[in-house]
Amino acid sequence: MRPTDSPIRLGALFSDSGLTAVVERTQRQAVTMAVEEINAAGGLLGREAVIEAGNSLSDPARARAEAERLLASGVETIFGCYMSSTRRAVLPVVEQRRGLLFYPTLYEGFEYSSHCIYSGAAPNQNSVWLADHMLRRYGTRFYLVGSNYVFPYESNRIMRDYVQSCGGVVVEERYLPLHPSDEDIARVIGDIRRHAPVMVFSTTVGDATTAFYRAYDRAGFDRSTMPIGSLTTGEPELAAMGGDAAEGHLTAAPYFSTIGSPRNARFVAAFRARWGEDAPISANTEAAYFQVHLYAEAVARAGATDVASVRANLPGCAYDAPQGPVRIDGRTHHTVLWPRVGVATARGEFAIVEEAAAAVAPDPYMIDPEPRAWGARALAI
Amino acid sequence: MSRGLLRDLRDVAVAVLHPPDADGGVILDQLNRIGCRTEAAWPPPRSLQTAPDLAVVGVDRDAHAAVMRLLRKSAQPTPGVIAVVDYENPAMLQLVLELEALAVISKPVRSFGILTNLVIARSQRVKAEEQAARIRRLEARIAGFRSVDKAKKILMDAQGIDEQDAYRTMRAQAMAKRISLEEMALAIINAHSLLSSRIDDA
Repeated sequence: MRPTDSPIRLGALFSDSGLTAVVERTQRQAVTMAVEEINAAGGLLGREAVIEAGNSLSDPARARAEAERLLASGVETIFGCYMSSTRRAVLPVVEQRRGLLFYPTLYEGFEYSSHCIYSGAAPNQNSVWLADHMLRRYGTRFYLVGSNYVFPYESNRIMRDYVQSCGGVVVEERYLPLHPSDEDIARVIGDIRRHAPVMVFSTTVGDATTAFYRAYDRAGFDRSTMPIGSLTTGEPELAAMGGDAAEGHLTAAPYFSTIGSPRNARFVAAFRARWGEDAPISANTEAAYFQVHLYAEAVARAGATDVASVRANLPGCAYDAPQGPVRIDGRTHHTVLWPRVGVATARGEFAIVEEAAAAVAPDPYMIDPEPRAWGARALAI
Repeated sequence: MSRGLLRDLRDVAVAVLHPPDADGGVILDQLNRIGCRTEAAWPPPRSLQTAPDLAVVGVDRDAHAAVMRLLRKSAQPTPGVIAVVDYENPAMLQLVLELEALAVISKPVRSFGILTNLVIARSQRVKAEEQAARIRRLEARIAGFRSVDKAKKILMDAQGIDEQDAYRTMRAQAMAKRISLEEMALAIINAHSLLSSRIDDA
């Protein structure tokens, strides 16, 4: 690195405390580690990259203010946001100031911005895989519960349509406050008991997930017939709730820390060496990590770091990510990913039970998923 | 119905009659992202290759007449129009009204909002089609009533029977000949006008 060049300042906008801090902390760690790797390899075009931190506190208004502050201070590119409500608050500011947002979280789809790259899964890369797996392995009756905001609404819409088109039944659809009380959760648990046997599809987020899964554990439902399937329950949430409450529940995601490839082994070892032996790593963590490398690839192609040059070079950028080779789809600004289904173990990890035979292109405007219109590879449990 | 309208959005054929500039690019890219079948053409051609359900039209004074001609002859019923406008003055609004636009997108065009306008325009067009079909059916029925009344009077005069018997006779004849009551009535009216016409009437 040439010490005379000024460093390139990159924004990292996550929640260090608040409802969803449990997962966002791991995303911040991932961005930090990726930047350290890039610097160790010579930086961005020979210049050092430094991180300017913003703290969203799981609050959209606060996230917007933090984005304003970062962009006003000269930061052009921001990695961050978890909840859709936060992304929706930040994106207009980023567009107005002609910045660039890398969003490292699965979400409900139906969005495109020329100023945003979406590196988490779109519903065709996780929802339909989870629904299909549950329908084939467990049964046809679903109970939908979610936190009260936009991601659960649309996620449940997709789930309901898909389950019904496959001949299944949705017996109930309930929403919990973002910060539910014990009574709120007890009511839903009681309702699930009344509808049993039934599988639960949960789109609660953050601390609400921990509380819900623990209550479900105490209620003693048999998870071999009544598992909870969730897109928002990853390794950090499992760590927070404990292995006993987690075991037997399902999720679908492009990445699990248990992926058996040498590339992933290197990533997991490096992450744990940097952040601790017990540091949980989820698909959102991995997406936060590889999107920084995708950005670096675009910078290398552009030979510049200004947003206009980087944006022009983003389509087609590829990276050998821990989940497998990923690539930015220029048409949608989403990412070509590797769908997988996992069952939680008592160790707070996911055992992979199904994975895509090939990477799947994003379809963020999917209205009506067609049953089983993909190639999957079922693995022995 | 509403869910069905969303579900088959990907089967919708959309003509994009807009200059191939930045706004036109945003529109076309977003329609392709959504998954619609698109046909882009500018300046407005004499005819389109597809029969579009919807047309996204850049409102343009110079091209207006050509667009109107194209829309009128392109498909029946005519495609639902989504107008793309850069001014809100009355002269521009007049063109929007003439296009009978079902939805409006303002410039500079953003990706966000195109899906909503597409859904609204499509829903309005389907509703308009259903209403037009219903009106056609009702008009046909009213015309039928008039014919039946007229034929009844002819039978009553010719055979000296009352209204109820005239009706029964017509219905029995219609059933025997396996035609509708309205067709029977028209046959009676035509026969009567033929039989009662004289050479000097012609």
